[in-house]
Order: sequence, then structure tokens, then C-alpha cells
Amino acid sequence: MATETKPATEEAKMDLFEDDDEFEEFEINEEWEDKEEGKEVTQQWEDDWDDDDVNDDFSLQLRRELENNAEKN
Amino acid sequence: MAYPSMGEAHRRVTDYLGRFSDAVSTQDVASLKPLLSLSSASPSLLSLADALNLLQDAIRLIKQSEKWSQLAEIVAPLFRCLQSYRLSNLADAYPAYEKAANAFIQEFRNWDSAWALEALYVIAYEIRVLAERADRELSANGKLPEKLKAAGSFLMKVFGVLAGKGPKRVGALYMTCQLFKIYFKLGTVHLCRSVIRSIETARIFDFEEFPQRDKVTYMYYTGRLEVYNENFTAAEQKLSYALAHCNPHSEANIRMILKYLIPVKLSIGILPKDWLLEKYNLVEYRNIVLALKRGDLRLLRSALEEHEDRFLRSGVYLVLEKLELQVYQRLLKKIYIIQKQKDPSKAHQMKLEVIIKALKWLEIDMDLDEVECIVAILIHKNLVKGYFAHKSKVVVLSKQDPFPKLTGRPVNA
Repeated sequence: MATETKPATEEAKMDLFEDDDEFEEFEINEEWEDKEEGKEVTQQWEDDWDDDDVNDDFSLQLRRELENNAEKN
Repeated sequence: MAYPSMGEAHRRVTDYLGRFSDAVSTQDVASLKPLLSLSSASPSLLSLADALNLLQDAIRLIKQSEKWSQLAEIVAPLFRCLQSYRLSNLADAYPAYEKAANAFIQEFRNWDSAWALEALYVIAYEIRVLAERADRELSANGKLPEKLKAAGSFLMKVFGVLAGKGPKRVGALYMTCQLFKIYFKLGTVHLCRSVIRSIETARIFDFEEFPQRDKVTYMYYTGRLEVYNENFTAAEQKLSYALAHCNPHSEANIRMILKYLIPVKLSIGILPKDWLLEKYNLVEYRNIVLALKRGDLRLLRSALEEHEDRFLRSGVYLVLEKLELQVYQRLLKKIYIIQKQKDPSKAHQMKLEVIIKALKWLEIDMDLDEVECIVAILIHKNLVKGYFAHKSKVVVLSKQDPFPKLTGRPVNA
């Protein structure tokens, strides 16, 4: 829900009366099919990301950092 | 406000009464609903309100007339409500509507069939929304806002009326959802417990019988409650249900579900694809996802700080903060893999000093004791398999699967 502009004194009180994430009402007779399109949303998750690949920039920088320090010792 | 002539005013009042009476006697809920729907601010209701304000004695007329006396208990307070509403006096409009609603419930109980259920839904919605507006008005005038709380009590009563064996019971979930909205708004979420218990344990209710739209709303709110109570497995289940069954066109609602589901998924080691964050404008999670993938503790902390207010408001801050342990795990795993590539025979022995150096590179200053403590926690929570060799300040990692994946389970409490 968007917050409306209110006088500063009321701002604090009004915070108590807000739930930013109030679900929108569905129409009384609203029905829908769980279409394939809707299913797409449920397939947007990855659980195989925790791989052994260390060729990304971050990992390469980390490697350089660890090697530098090893040399310094 | 253009007032009608007396004759026209009379006509509008008797017209409304006639429609109300016919709707009830023919059990025509489609015609009844608009007569109760204050928030629709329909031209016909507004013009009726003008007529009432002009006549001033319409109520006396209803009560005196035999024709309308049956409905007087409902319609008289409804008229008073309309009058107050039209004059922007919401603090008075609310109690009048509640009185009318109460009278309606009494009639509703006597009707055997559930023909008027949709009218009851309208009433429940109006009660909540009118109470909210009344409280805003009271608050703005420096008075105590207590109408929404009263609306909550009233709807609990309505819930009780529906919690029986007959066909009316399918309306109970809609009432529950209206109550959730009230309790969440008031911040009295502990009150959700008793309705939830009724819905989930009372034998008269079969969850599958309820309308889809109410089930989705119900799972969204109970899912949020599970997040607050840190029951992540249950939270994932409920929010995923809501997501899978939500109207695909309700983008705002899908976004809200994801807003709570994403932190839950993250805490069980499952990441949202960037497409999802982009489409539903949840980019505040982008750097957190990246931090987990990389093992970048600095990025996690900066992402938390950047969106601190937002995460605090939605109550997911603590859930996200706890991801630190998973980020540590990922970082250590990367160090391990890098070392293994250099010298496979020594890789399973990780010097704490190396970890300190990696953290320092991420601008995080930790001494030996602190790092030892973190690693101890990781071992304790089974994010790292291994043990300390204290004298040499080394973690000896298990040769098999030293960094177990979460595989959909939350980190041990």
C-alpha cells in the first residue's frame, strides 16, 4: 500500500495502522485456472547453484588474494 | 450536494425499500449485494443518501409502515449510516452499519439455505473497510481509534454463525481472511490463532471445500505467520501453495507472496532466478542472492544495510541476517576448492589464518578467536564437517562432503 503524505505528527500514529502487504481482494466469484503460465512462476528456483565452479570474477580475485598472501609469508 | 425535491426523495427511498424487500423475498443475492455495498459509492446509494438527509424522517416512516416493518431492523440503521456517510461522518457511520449488519445476521441465521452468503461477504468487507476509514478519521481528530477492533469482534461473531454443519460453512474462510487483514493491520496477530485452530481442527470444515480464492489468501497470511515464528518448512509449504494457486494475473498479490517466500527459500538453500526478481520488482533481494552464490560476506552485509528499513518493515530482516552462516559456508568452500586445485594433498587442512586473510580482503576484521568461534558454529550446525586441531590453529575438514548442502532443510536451530 502506498503511504499517503500526512502531517508529521500523525505519521507515527498512522504507522500502527498500516500493513504494507495487505493482500488484494479477489472478486467474490473470481475463479481462474492454474494455467501453465501460472506454473512458470513456481519454476523459477535454483537448487543446484552451490557448485564447485571457481572461475567467476569473485573467486579469481579471492584466489589472487590468497596466493599473494602466501607469497608474503 | 444537489438535493432532490421532496417527492423525488420519497420515490428514491421507497424504490430502495422495494428492491431490498424483493431481493430478500425472491432470494436474489445479486440484487441484494449492491444495496449493501457502501464503499462502491454508487450513484444510486449516494442519491439515496441525499434523499434521506432531506427527508430526515424516512426512518420513522419505515417503522410506521406495515409494508416495511419486517426489514426495519436492518434498513433503519442502514439509512442512518448512509446519512452519516454522505456527510463524511465516518465515526458515526460505522456503528450504524454494524447495527444493520447485526440485524441482517439475525435474519441470515433463520434462512436455511446459504442463498445470502455473498451478501454476507459484502457486509464483512464493508465492516472492515468502513471501520478502517472511521479509525483514520478518529485518529486525525485526536480521538482513540477503536472501530477496527470492534469490527474484529463483530466478524468473530459472524464466523461463529457460519461455523456449523450446513452449507453456510464454506463462508467461514472468507471471514477468516477478513479477520486476518484486521489483525495484521492492528498488529494483534496473536488473535489469528483461535480462528486458525477452528479452521484447521474443527471436524465440520474440510479445507478443500472452500473457494480457491479464500484458500490462497488464507495460505498467504498463515504463511507469513510461519515466517514470523521461524517455522521455515511450514512457511515454505504454505507460501508455495499460495503462489501455485494464485490468479496468475494478480501481479500485486504474487509479488507479496514472493516477498515472503524468497527469504524462506534462501534460508533452505534455494535461490530465485533473476527473472523472477526482475519481473516482480523484488530487486532488493538481488545482491543477497549474489552474496550467497559468491560467498561474499561483505556484499550480504551491505545489501542488508541498504534495504534495512524495508526488510525491517516486512519482518524478514532477521531471516536474511541469519543467511550469514550460509555465506560463510560458501566462502570456506571456495577457499577449499582453490586450495585443492593448488595442492590436493593438503586441501582438507584449512588454516584459520587463511580464512582471516580472505575476510580481511572483504574488509571484515576478525581475529583468531572470532574466526574460531564462527567455524565452531558452522561445525555445530552441520554446515561444515570437520574438527579443530587447536595447537596448529587448523580446521581439519572431512574428506567426504565437508560442506553439506542444505537440500531444502533449514539450518539447524
